[in-house]
Amino acid sequence: MSPNIFCAILIVLLPLSAYIIQTAVGKRLPRMGDWVSTGAIFAAFCLATKIFISMWTNYSPDWVESAHWTWLDIGTAAMPLKLEVGIHIDNITAIMLFMVTLCSTLIHLFSTGYMRDHHGKPADGYRYASFFSFLSLFTAGMLGLIVSDNLFTLFMCWELMGLCSYLLIGFYRHKISAANASLKAFMTTRIGDTGLFIGMLLLFTFPLVDGTSLGSFRFEDIYAAISSGAFQGELLGMPVLFWLGLLIFCGTVGKSAQFPLQIWLPDAMEGPTPVSALIHAATMVAAGVYLVIRMFPILEAGHVLTIVAYVGAITSLFAAILAMKQYDIKKVLAYSTLSQLGYMVLALGVGDYKASFFHLITHALFKACLFMASGAVIYAMHHEQDMRKMGGLWKKLPITFATMLIATLAISGVPGLSGFVSKDQILVSSLAFWKENPAHFFVPIAAFITAGLTAFYMFRLIFMTFFGKAHDKHHYDEAHEVPVNMWIPLAVLASLSFGVLFTGSLSGGLFGHKGADGHYHGDFIFGHFNGWFNHLVTVPRAFAAEHYAHFEHLVHEMHGPGMYTSILLASLGILFSWMVFSLKKPSPEFLSKLVPGFVHKAIDNLYFFDWFYIKVFIKKLFLPVSKLFSVFDDSVIDGIAVDGWKNVVNFGKKLSSRFDDVIIDGVLVDGVGGKLPSSLGSNLSFLQNGKIQRYLFVAAGALALLLVFKGVL
Amino acid sequence: MAGIANNLEFYLVVSSVFFVFGLLAALTRKNAIGIFMGVELILNAAGINFVAFQAFHKKASSSPMLDGHIFSMFIIILAAIEAAVALAIVLRVFQSKSSINPDGMKELKG
Repeated sequence: MSPNIFCAILIVLLPLSAYIIQTAVGKRLPRMGDWVSTGAIFAAFCLATKIFISMWTNYSPDWVESAHWTWLDIGTAAMPLKLEVGIHIDNITAIMLFMVTLCSTLIHLFSTGYMRDHHGKPADGYRYASFFSFLSLFTAGMLGLIVSDNLFTLFMCWELMGLCSYLLIGFYRHKISAANASLKAFMTTRIGDTGLFIGMLLLFTFPLVDGTSLGSFRFEDIYAAISSGAFQGELLGMPVLFWLGLLIFCGTVGKSAQFPLQIWLPDAMEGPTPVSALIHAATMVAAGVYLVIRMFPILEAGHVLTIVAYVGAITSLFAAILAMKQYDIKKVLAYSTLSQLGYMVLALGVGDYKASFFHLITHALFKACLFMASGAVIYAMHHEQDMRKMGGLWKKLPITFATMLIATLAISGVPGLSGFVSKDQILVSSLAFWKENPAHFFVPIAAFITAGLTAFYMFRLIFMTFFGKAHDKHHYDEAHEVPVNMWIPLAVLASLSFGVLFTGSLSGGLFGHKGADGHYHGDFIFGHFNGWFNHLVTVPRAFAAEHYAHFEHLVHEMHGPGMYTSILLASLGILFSWMVFSLKKPSPEFLSKLVPGFVHKAIDNLYFFDWFYIKVFIKKLFLPVSKLFSVFDDSVIDGIAVDGWKNVVNFGKKLSSRFDDVIIDGVLVDGVGGKLPSSLGSNLSFLQNGKIQRYLFVAAGALALLLVFKGVL
Repeated sequence: MAGIANNLEFYLVVSSVFFVFGLLAALTRKNAIGIFMGVELILNAAGINFVAFQAFHKKASSSPMLDGHIFSMFIIILAAIEAAVALAIVLRVFQSKSSINPDGMKELKG
């Protein structure tokens, strides 16, 4: 076993054992064991750094290390059933491991401050220990998912995360809204998971061209089968690959909260803020995108990608519109997460696999920063989340303000920051996609509008929270900068929001580009490692190479116009936001009057999705069905089966009572009875003394005697 | 290591040790919960036997039968159900008698 594989196993086991320790003895440890979880995840981070360094020393797009073992082998030759599990490490795994462990370590550190009150006492008593145990389990689930080399263990970790999200979103269990939100998150993602599971079973069992079934969940085997064209055949009038792709994408729709299952994610804000940071940045929602990245060849071969692109475009645009009218600081960030996830899915849909993964990483870093900064604001304001009651906080919280500003610039797509680079790639790819398929003009339009809206609503958050006059004097006077264990995570994540770390270019590629000669020109400073991210992340082997080369060419062509439009839109968004929310010219009230009433109504009701699901699906569909079953229970099972038996039994009872009276009572009891039983009873009653252990002893002794004398008898 | 794992007797010895401990616990404890724990040990001893015989049977015949595994699954499930019912009974007994010594449970009434 190579050292990297060993490290990968340890990375999963460390948080898992922290979870076990925390659950078993967490309450009794000093500081309720928050250091166990934090230390374990920090150790995992160190190991992930080791893997990350191996990736750098190899510096090759094809670097792969893997190992697998047979877990279960119970089939026959005719029907093989062999489950293999293993570890797969490539560049994507290494980058993901580094990002997840880093974010998770910082979130653990932040929680040691956030989950305590202002006097340093754990805010929820013993629940403080459980909080850290759940955080550890959540992280272990995500890490297990990343290192899996097969869909089976991936799915197990996937479900583990579903459970943890339920536990953590409903952490404030005295609040009925939190309990409902956790249930909603769990049930909604379950719909997608069911699709994914059906897809997995179909993948495992569907007859291939040569008559056998794949019989494996390993990515390697799936890729090989796809690229050799083994999945032919149809199902319900469509190619089976289409169904496979669609069903697997269902999992992503649930987990990454895409249209039409996006309803759970905003409600998930009921959890503590570090949980929101963990769910929205490093773990849960990233898992959905990661699944599509791993299963990209299936989606590509099944021609599902156009659907994927539209789902992403719709999600990103509609979530961005919702974000503009939120007053809860965390809700704004929740909708911005939805919107950015939409971007990632859109990028996958248009076929730019690299850009999606790139945005996944950069977004995770700056969104974790944004969430924890909003957590710091909420903490400083004594758990006030309404932005209308904030204002002018930048003097009181200078570090939080600075870090949040950097992350906001990053998400808005300002040159020089990481969000600019990754979002720019997505926008340019969407343009290239449109160039290839002129009919799909909606996708790039939605992407560009969302880019402008993102800058607008994120700066709305900044202006409402940190600038202007304080709207709540009492809270404002009490607000003060958060303690050091809470601002260090913010500072680390903000410093990772600079594009230069990913590209080597100080401006994030604005001044300079990769020339046709393969060298970098302009303000690139990393020498040999310029553009390392794009160099290391490669498209999967099954992906059609010639098509991709053509696509690359189109991307290159659209790079200039795409980039300048995105900068223009971002600056327009920021400028407009400044005019509206800082200068108040035009005032927000005036703007909101311009929007027609039905649009307001739609936004306030979240486009009626919740209404639709509850009224139509649950009330009109599930309740009648459950009523039907209860009618069946009452009339058929209860009425015919149970009551019918009653009549039969009653008849039997009458017969036997006649028998009793005449034969037993009359002949046997009065005749034979009398003396014999009573003398037997008094003599044998010592056996029936009601002491159960004596009975057991007699039974065991009799059995032993029987075994010993078996030969004699 | 390999020598032990490939030896059926090893598994049987472990399971008979479990069985004897369970029987002793069930016979001698003065605490109903202790007796149930003994019964659980006895059940699990049987489970070990099933799985062990299945594994070695398979090695011998390379047939794909799963009877032993399924039996042990049933044992696990039944043990869980039994524990639930038993604990409920113990709870009720404790409520009415303030003791869970099985010797105290002589009457069916009350």
